[in-house]
Amino acid sequence: MNERPSGSDHTFPPDSPASEFSCPQWWQIDPQAPFQLGPRQLPGRIWTASGCFGYGLTGHEITGDDHASPYVGLGAVVTKTLTPEPRAGNPMPRLVELPVGALNSIGLENVGFGHFLDEVLPALAKQQVPVIVSMAATRPEQFGVMAMRLQQAAADVSCWHGVELNLSCPNIAEGGHDFGSNPDTVTACVAAARPHLGDRALLAKLTPNVTRIAPLAEAARAGGADAVSAINTMVGLEVDLVSGRPILPRRTGGYSGPALLPIGLAMVDAIVREVAIPVVAVGGIATPADALKYFALGAVAVQVGTAQMRDPFAAAHIAASLRPARR
Amino acid sequence: MTSTGSPSCRRSLATAVSNHPVSRDLKVLEVRLPGPLDFRPGQFAMLNFPGPHELVFGRPLSILAVQGDRVSFLYRVVGRGTAQLASLRSGEPVTFLGPLGTPFPAPGGRRPVVLLAGGVGLPPLLAWWQRYGREQDHAFFGARDGGDVPWELLDPAWQISVDRPAGLPATRQAEVGLVTETCRRRLGEPQAGAEPGLVQACGPLPMLRAATTLAASWQWPCLVSVEEHMGCGYGVCRGCVLPGRDGSHLTACQDGPVLDSAVIDWESFGGEKT
Repeated sequence: MNERPSGSDHTFPPDSPASEFSCPQWWQIDPQAPFQLGPRQLPGRIWTASGCFGYGLTGHEITGDDHASPYVGLGAVVTKTLTPEPRAGNPMPRLVELPVGALNSIGLENVGFGHFLDEVLPALAKQQVPVIVSMAATRPEQFGVMAMRLQQAAADVSCWHGVELNLSCPNIAEGGHDFGSNPDTVTACVAAARPHLGDRALLAKLTPNVTRIAPLAEAARAGGADAVSAINTMVGLEVDLVSGRPILPRRTGGYSGPALLPIGLAMVDAIVREVAIPVVAVGGIATPADALKYFALGAVAVQVGTAQMRDPFAAAHIAASLRPARR
Repeated sequence: MTSTGSPSCRRSLATAVSNHPVSRDLKVLEVRLPGPLDFRPGQFAMLNFPGPHELVFGRPLSILAVQGDRVSFLYRVVGRGTAQLASLRSGEPVTFLGPLGTPFPAPGGRRPVVLLAGGVGLPPLLAWWQRYGREQDHAFFGARDGGDVPWELLDPAWQISVDRPAGLPATRQAEVGLVTETCRRRLGEPQAGAEPGLVQACGPLPMLRAATTLAASWQWPCLVSVEEHMGCGYGVCRGCVLPGRDGSHLTACQDGPVLDSAVIDWESFGGEKT
């Protein structure tokens, strides 16, 4: 057998049934119960992170040993980030696996906002998949236009619960990371989208590639965000020793995976302690125990990213595992 | 079955049954699933190990054969993940996500199908041969030398090509040269007016290029099974793309691995520039 540490900390979904994870006594929240986020009631607290679960599983089905579908128990699928126009994304290679994480440079490849509204969102609505729409733009006012178009196209779509502004993708040359590290632009982007969203939740996804993250959370709050998502990937680089050059064509990429957990915990803790805004935690969550650590710090919901790419049932397993034991 | 008719994908905890060498550096791993599996030749599965601090991503291995709940894979150790798979022993757990990807089609009508396999590119074509192979079809396998050939897996209908005539068993024949050259020599030029056949190839990139060129010279279509590093394997991460001729990016995991070679931008493939 492989030598593996035992104990809940190291139980990876979904190789052990949910019943094998025992929640600590202090945990009394059912993550599959609805909760209020700003003006919107969300169906649950375990979400999939943007870029790690596509636009949901449109077009195919996956069943698991313990779950009929990867959607079971999910509070939301945060879509792959959409931009006003389709993007082909970055050249290959785009993904480098490292010992405790992965470096990606996908470059916001996406089908474009128009196609998403016309084709993808109706397919998600048909399946009643709870959706948060992730969007990126290069100017603050574009977020307003996208929010308005979404509201017009999807006002009747009850499973569309909100938007997440991607203010922090490190993989595009314009906008993205530089954009999201300036508190004034964060406020401007959020404020541009807010008036168009009605009773839908508005989240701002923050970059960790700054000295202090709390001022960005404060800037999002000031612009009218209902919550912040923290954290996005960290800028990283890997070198190919044969060529002596960076592996990724654009040199750097976004580092994600288990290595981010302690960094994400520290940043979420800083936001919770310094800023009066709900935090949706994301960064390095692979197990129920990882998610619980964020909840312990005060996160209202969590997102599963790289682990969801590894296993389409990762988030569903965490959602099933974190139902508190009956006393 | 899904609405599109392809076998539905399953995520399961599997158990290794056996893991043994079939040539100098090819091994066959057999795993047992909780229930029977359906697949199409050309499809693959993502294999990984339980435990969050094992491999960040699974490893895509092409399915060689399925018998009931047993699935076998032919693979070569090329890095950390396959090295770890090579150390799997009977009874040990392995996570399975599959079958995934676009398969090779079933043969249509009378038109001949020519299979060109190189090295570890054998499993999808061997699976196709075992399920569909007919009298009018032809199967070719290329390797560096006799030690690289998994003889026990290849029935005598397979024509073997080697770069060097070393390590060849007394009972089997092999030609020296590229697999595409052997194929052209054996089959000759298609007769004028004959129904065009189909080339199906899987192997290293230069071999896929040569297969495409060979098929084009006969004015036959060519399907290739491509290999890329993958993240998710199930179409959500967009990490395994290759350049399409229309400027789009094709995912190896979902648009492929089997693609019409006419849709690939061969000038950029394998050395795409910004």
